[in-house]
Amino acid sequence: MSDTKVVKDLMIGIFDYPHVPYWFSISQAIKIVRVSFLDTNKYPEPLAILVFDQKYHLLGTLTLRDILRGLEPKFLKATVGGAHIVEGDQTELALIWDSLFDIKAKEMAERPVSEIMIPAKHFVEPHDPITKAAYLMLQHDLVLLPVLEEKRKFVGLVRMIEIFDALSNAILKE
Amino acid sequence: MTTGQSNPPTEPLDRDHHQKLYVQLYEALKRKIETGEWAVGSQIPTEGGLCEMFNVSRATVRAAMQDLARQGYLTRRQGKGTFVQRRTASEGLPVHTSFQELMLEDAAKCAVTLLARTVMMPVDGLDAELGIAPDRHVIYIRRLWAMANEPVIQQEAYIPYQACPALLEAEISGEPLVSILERKHGIRITRVRTRLDAVPAGPADRKAMKVHEGSPLLVLLQHFYSGDTAVAYARSIKPARKQSLLLDFERESA
Repeated sequence: MSDTKVVKDLMIGIFDYPHVPYWFSISQAIKIVRVSFLDTNKYPEPLAILVFDQKYHLLGTLTLRDILRGLEPKFLKATVGGAHIVEGDQTELALIWDSLFDIKAKEMAERPVSEIMIPAKHFVEPHDPITKAAYLMLQHDLVLLPVLEEKRKFVGLVRMIEIFDALSNAILKE
Repeated sequence: MTTGQSNPPTEPLDRDHHQKLYVQLYEALKRKIETGEWAVGSQIPTEGGLCEMFNVSRATVRAAMQDLARQGYLTRRQGKGTFVQRRTASEGLPVHTSFQELMLEDAAKCAVTLLARTVMMPVDGLDAELGIAPDRHVIYIRRLWAMANEPVIQQEAYIPYQACPALLEAEISGEPLVSILERKHGIRITRVRTRLDAVPAGPADRKAMKVHEGSPLLVLLQHFYSGDTAVAYARSIKPARKQSLLLDFERESA
């Protein structure tokens, strides 16, 4: 790309997203989603929560999808050797989930968010090209990519929407 | 003696200072009283006069004067103005309330461990305790004081991130919260509301303090204010083995 935008040109601040420590429960995360997004009609893309350890190091991210997955009963998660497999249409099982939802989901919601978050394993630096950020997000199916300074200090986040904007401008430029 | 009738010089406050203007004004006015520049019994300048003198809004002046009245420095007389009064022991009597003084007899012998310093959202009523919106970030600090490897006190402190962002990186070790906020970050604590309860240990506290579930615990809940703004909330727990509480109130001589 001749127009050399780098990660820091499109990163957003970390305080744009709610923070939780890893020991918070899923139900506490749900309350945070409500007060931070739903009740205030703020819908940033993606709707996500950042999960930190006791030393304020980023551990992972939590999206609405992750939270709902955390409430799913085990019988809907067919696994072989720990890997999730899909065995045809699970709709009928989902109806059973409906009948159990009130009791089981509340039980599941008391688990810590560390059990359901997507661990933060991939990072970019502020001066990295945005194509590197795009590559990592596509390759690992990420909704948010943390930006670290000198591989240590968490300074910002990159989202797909800004990456798309920057890359599409390069495509459409005459 | 009337101090409010002359044309006052402007005494501007530092607008770049991170301390709120009314807290700075509170301090400036308190200094005038304590140094005797404004003598006991004298009338202080009007709200408008103070606005001009310090180049601040009327709301800032009112907030500072309300705090001074609450602390017993000023009294308002209907139709006459506001006067400096002699402070006496009354409701709102200032008491040293750092939790070490109340709960930790021998702080010097304790080893302090910083168990956590991170950021969270104020769930489960914490927003109300801190008087902030539920979507505001809060710094969480958990420290443990131990003697001979036995837990003595655990304190969990919650500080609105906006009140003191530098706290995330500051050296804090075993220093009391008030001292950290005041000495290191220039946030003047004007009021501490304290509540002491004795309760049976729940599952989380039991684990932290290495006591049996249901064992008696002393729980100290403290709200720290700078002016009318809550700048911290802390919960400290201590096993209630053998406990005594000494409160020493001193009335200033009339």
